[in-house]
Amino acid sequence: MEVIPPIVLYILVDFSVYLIITLSLNMEAGYAGLPQFGRVLSVITGALVAGAIPGRILALLYGYPHGAEYASYEFNYRIVNELNIILEQSPLLSIGVFLLTLIMAMMLGAAVGYVTSRPAIRLKEAYLGITLLAMGDVVMLISLYYSPIIGGTTGVMVPDPFRWVGPYRFTAATLVLLTLSIVVLIVVERLTKSPFGRALRAMRDSEVAITVYGRDIARLRTYALIVGASIAALGGALYTFYTGGCIASTYTRLTWTFWPWAFMMLGGTGNNVGVVLGVLLFVIVKTFIVTYRGVLAPYVPFDPVWLEYTFVGMAIILIAMFRPQGIIPERPIFTIARKKIERIFTTLETPEEIRA
Amino acid sequence: MSNDYILVTKEVTKRFGGLTAVDSVSIAVRRNTVTMLMGPNGAGKTTLVNVCTGVYKADEGRVLFDNEDITELPPYEIYRLGFVRTFQIPVPFQSLTVLENVLASMKSDGENPLIAIAKSRWIKHEEGAIRKAFNMLSKVGLSKFWDLPAYKLGAAQLKMLEVARALAAGAKLIALDEPIGGVDPVYANRILSYVRSLKDEFDASFLLIEHRIDIALPYADYVYVMDKGKIVTEGRPSEVIKNPKVIEIYIGE
Repeated sequence: MEVIPPIVLYILVDFSVYLIITLSLNMEAGYAGLPQFGRVLSVITGALVAGAIPGRILALLYGYPHGAEYASYEFNYRIVNELNIILEQSPLLSIGVFLLTLIMAMMLGAAVGYVTSRPAIRLKEAYLGITLLAMGDVVMLISLYYSPIIGGTTGVMVPDPFRWVGPYRFTAATLVLLTLSIVVLIVVERLTKSPFGRALRAMRDSEVAITVYGRDIARLRTYALIVGASIAALGGALYTFYTGGCIASTYTRLTWTFWPWAFMMLGGTGNNVGVVLGVLLFVIVKTFIVTYRGVLAPYVPFDPVWLEYTFVGMAIILIAMFRPQGIIPERPIFTIARKKIERIFTTLETPEEIRA
Repeated sequence: MSNDYILVTKEVTKRFGGLTAVDSVSIAVRRNTVTMLMGPNGAGKTTLVNVCTGVYKADEGRVLFDNEDITELPPYEIYRLGFVRTFQIPVPFQSLTVLENVLASMKSDGENPLIAIAKSRWIKHEEGAIRKAFNMLSKVGLSKFWDLPAYKLGAAQLKMLEVARALAAGAKLIALDEPIGGVDPVYANRILSYVRSLKDEFDASFLLIEHRIDIALPYADYVYVMDKGKIVTEGRPSEVIKNPKVIEIYIGE
């Protein structure tokens, strides 16, 4: 049915979603130096919005149950099937629901970022890392065991805003995700190549100095956490729409916090282009392991299901030991083109220099 | 106190447990001068500056900057008023370039992410800031190294980078903590002459903390000598150097 081979689609989807999330992580951890070990929190926020809200809005509009019973496993698949029939016939409604949900996900993500910034003002390093990690797990566990939100352990189906495309639904959805991930890349590049990005890196290098130079580090941290969380929530919502279902147990700290860390560390902490490369490499290798682990089964002395995890874990250790700066290390960043800076430089005269 | 003075401390005392590091110290820094605070290691010079710049809270006494009481203010508020200290051990933003280090000391609207995303809203300001930063860097002899990450600079260069950052930030008074510590005499002299010309050019005042009086004294307009937390004597460099107490402190009885 699809024009692009499934394995390529699979790689592109994973690449797009993880690129968005890893870029958001890089802004917080790579640029601002925050120990963001709770990336999963804002990813699951986006997933919750996509899983719980658009279906309910449509159910409300078209007279289906939209309260707690919407998420019940007895009703949910029936309601969403009906909604999908409606969406299939109305591209405009589909696109509207899709965009509205993404905006809501980003807004709620920003709100969650603000909440996490409250402890971040007072806590430092490991303590902050543990707090963020715990916050992510708490939200995941609540969504998993409190079924009225997204169906608890059975999950929910999500109305499909791509169904109207017809037989090329997965191809179309993949291209939308890829496009949005490139938009996020451009936005993050602009943000990091600006006075904002410079202030974040300065804070990372020396909190004392940036305070003495008149910046409120609580505010800088808050900005970084809000922007990062809203981008990560976008990633979570997109992934949910793509898969067409939402179940809290998908959002583990391993896959949505530590994998993005591994991708960022491999590519180059504090370098967005490095992140693109890191995510791409990891996703390709991971996909091939998942696809061909059956073939590898006779050669490994354990269940090949664990190959993927073993690989990522090994990679983190090796990067930390041998190339902590990543494949493409952080480079000096110029807010305006280097040539333009040089032109300003040459218009000024220069007296004698002092030596090191 | 009259308007002639940029910084005045009135009987400032700072204790750490049983140790009185600064003991009822009153000094006054005249505008557009290089005022030197000298004394042996452990005299309390750095502690006094830390109290003045809000890093430590004074236990007693008042600190006035530009006729305003700054005793209770946090460091960034004091910075905002135009009183900047450089660090005894320079604290650059290691991975930022020399130029970015100066730029980071100047504020920009583009530090708000909502504005940062629209380059047109901060680009004009940024270009102006870059011009200003280059001007500062050339005044301290660092413009040639503008695109090097700060960690590649030597000790003397880092100290001048600190001065450039402070001036770019619009400082009226810069407390320079041992600017020539660990620097050989030739470059020490060059740094101090930079300081004097910066004073004239930017109408700035400097509070120079030093114990290497042999090199630094000729560059000062006025000198305070500290020992064991107290001001021992004060005056013009030529007077102070003849004071028996100073000779006693530095050479011994």
